[in-house]
Amino acid sequence: MVEVHLDSWLREFGPRRNEKVEAISVEHLIDVLEGRHPRLRFKLRDETGALRQYVRVFVDGTDVSGTTGVGTSLEGVRTVDILHSIAGG
Amino acid sequence: MPRDNRVRILVGTRKGTYVVEGDAKRKNWKVGPVAHEGDEVYHVVADPRHPGDLYAAVNNMFWGPMVQRSRNWGKNWKEIATPLSPAKKDRKPEFNESEPSATVKRPLTRLWHIEPGLERQPETLYLGADPHLLFRSTDLGSSWEPIEGINNHPARKNWSPGFGGACLHTILLDPRTPRRLYIGLSAVGTFRSEDEGKSWKPTNKGVEAPFLPDKNPETGQCVHHVAADAADPDTFYRQDHGGMYVSHDRMEKWTRIGKPLGDDFGFCVASPSSAPGTAYFVRLDGRGRVTRDGHFQVQEWNDKTRKWRKLLSPRQFPGHFGVQREGISTDNLDPAGIYVGTTTGQLFVSPNAGKSWAQVPFQFPSIHSVSVANPSTG
Repeated sequence: MVEVHLDSWLREFGPRRNEKVEAISVEHLIDVLEGRHPRLRFKLRDETGALRQYVRVFVDGTDVSGTTGVGTSLEGVRTVDILHSIAGG
Repeated sequence: MPRDNRVRILVGTRKGTYVVEGDAKRKNWKVGPVAHEGDEVYHVVADPRHPGDLYAAVNNMFWGPMVQRSRNWGKNWKEIATPLSPAKKDRKPEFNESEPSATVKRPLTRLWHIEPGLERQPETLYLGADPHLLFRSTDLGSSWEPIEGINNHPARKNWSPGFGGACLHTILLDPRTPRRLYIGLSAVGTFRSEDEGKSWKPTNKGVEAPFLPDKNPETGQCVHHVAADAADPDTFYRQDHGGMYVSHDRMEKWTRIGKPLGDDFGFCVASPSSAPGTAYFVRLDGRGRVTRDGHFQVQEWNDKTRKWRKLLSPRQFPGHFGVQREGISTDNLDPAGIYVGTTTGQLFVSPNAGKSWAQVPFQFPSIHSVSVANPSTG
């Protein structure tokens, strides 16, 4: 079971700050979250399934957004943080 | 429903939505609280068929585009359905010249324009988006259908984005028939449909494309905005990258009218319902993209006399102001109110068709769009 820490800004779309999810990959984890909270659909990923440009996913503290992305395995993983990146102005 | 005499200016900015309320005199204005705080709002529009209903094209830089609706003049907003691009993850990036398919390959990135349907179609909405996508809803935004005639247009593989992206920013309806539609796409041009969007004909004859090797192509012109004449639905006023134009024949051909002004670059145009044959343009420096001669200015085109009139003196609002494609609007009162929002956050108002001007005493974020909810809609 992975503990997911979600950006507080995402709460307007339904999820709590912390959720527990059984998932084998980041893609699977987001699928589960979207199933629980349908308004989360297309907020983290676009229609192609890719993470949106300013969404950051940390797997046990490592940022995978620009590397293995949604395909990252969650085997043995304890925590996933989904945050917005430092951007804007 | 009791008559509502208020005029509401709907302001979409780089940092949210504002509803600015005034009375029919249009002298005193009250700026409401910001909604969609921090989000890029490219267009806000009132639905005259359902008084109190507003729609906003919201583009959140983190979570993507969202269509939002208010049913109480902007006091509360709620996300409704947002259409999707047909892009799939196994497709190559958009604008890959070696890819022969005309299919869209990019996700929907930004919402540009929402257009309520005709009075006789009370549940219809149209929506224009990047990359060059057009959608229709027949249930007030609970669901959207792609208009394949444009979204899968055979020439699509030759379309490129402009500096503002691949935006479909202009949607105009013929008040006589729901079958006839007009659209404007950046770096592609204008099109007309006579069959409710099934097929589209390019309508750019006479519009120059100074940035292309062929100066008079069938498509490729960078239309910035188009306004329909209130009294003659066959007449349109066009601000193009290549100048200011008028058409009197449903966009079959265009005549350049801006040459007497010298540089006739700009982004926006509006035509008031109380003065048919009149169009307002904000002329900008083609290089700096701000008003020329060091002051805010609006040019009035009189299509009957075929003459221009400058509405503001250099002393009134000195400075260099940018105005974007949705940055000007008019109301339906007589004399017309003219409303102009700038990229530096000034909202200028004329309550008398340009005779006098004032600035709403509020510093907005950079303004993307200005539209008006008229008193008659309430």
